[in-house]
Amino acid sequence: MPKVKIPRKSTTIDMTAMCDVAFLLLTFFILTTKFRAQEVVQIEIPPSTAQVPIPDKDIMMFNIATDGRIFFGLDDQNTRLKLLDRLANAYQIEFTPKQKDAFRTLELWGMDIRLLPGFLDKDPNERANTIQPGLKIDTTGGAQIEDLILFSRQENNNLRIAIKADKSTEYKSFDKLIEALQNRKVNKFNIVTSARAGKE
Amino acid sequence: MAEMNIPQGGGKKGHKKVRSKKMSTRVDLTAMVDLGFLLITFFMLATTFNKPKTMEVNKPAKEDKIDKKDEPPIKMSKTVSLMLGDNDKVYWYISPDEIDANTQLTLDSVDYSPTGLRKVIQRRQNEVQAQWGKKDDLFVMIKPLPKSKVKNTVDVLDEMTINGVTRYAILQPNDPIDSLVALQVGQSRK
Repeated sequence: MPKVKIPRKSTTIDMTAMCDVAFLLLTFFILTTKFRAQEVVQIEIPPSTAQVPIPDKDIMMFNIATDGRIFFGLDDQNTRLKLLDRLANAYQIEFTPKQKDAFRTLELWGMDIRLLPGFLDKDPNERANTIQPGLKIDTTGGAQIEDLILFSRQENNNLRIAIKADKSTEYKSFDKLIEALQNRKVNKFNIVTSARAGKE
Repeated sequence: MAEMNIPQGGGKKGHKKVRSKKMSTRVDLTAMVDLGFLLITFFMLATTFNKPKTMEVNKPAKEDKIDKKDEPPIKMSKTVSLMLGDNDKVYWYISPDEIDANTQLTLDSVDYSPTGLRKVIQRRQNEVQAQWGKKDDLFVMIKPLPKSKVKNTVDVLDEMTINGVTRYAILQPNDPIDSLVALQVGQSRK
């Protein structure tokens, strides 16, 4: 009997299809990605059974940290710039173009408005490592917060207010913020929560 | 890996026509696939998929112009007051319709579990249904004390959705009974 010769098969596989799939997926992810915003402060949001997703645009975001510090952020860069112009007017502060540009990219911040220029002069890395004091609402009220609310809403009338509070924040700080909002005739706002699995 | 064959000095053979070698058009795509998947991994990790949810809260407008007398007062027997205290406790009571010297008020404390707060609300719903004929008439007054946590408020609002309570409000704890209750549980109400 003659020996049966097993033909040697090539080990190379056609990669074209796999490549197609990989890049298709890649395109999908690139298009759907919304990058995680840099967190100024760690916030653990409370779970709830609410099902309404947070709107994509026209958001005025307030963050309240566990220790009661309040941070403020707008989602739209143009509105941010307009807001800064109005703040500059109202508080008699001059912002350099460089500072304005830095403010344009600032997702979330919380400090006395008069401290802003110094903060904006820092380079982005240094800024991320600075501990921000938070916006203050004291016994005399939150004049700066109220100004921020007023000016932003004047620039963009469709703004919706979202409040992201850490679940162990005391109600006291939350209430102060709501009072500031109500002083500016905002009676409707959203509390940001995470989805809870099932109804426990 | 991809290889390229570069013809070297092949065309110097007398009068023969120069024939370019036929090259394979196949390129090794392994490296490209590698790169593709690497980028996919990066984008998957950087993406926020679970969008946070929001809970809409409407507060009654702070209108000083509205005359209090124009609004019919709500029957207290249709209500239940929840005061949110610290350490995840809810203090609840039912205000009497008329307060006089002999009024007795029972105050009870529960937690936020399904067996605690939910039972209270459901029982109250049934009581209201028995007395007024409609479950929806129940009005829940939520009064968070300053020491309570935001989580507590969210939990209570959640409980309203779960039990289908349509009428509720977050209020400042500022009627006289509230002060007494706050005093009782050792907290200031402001």
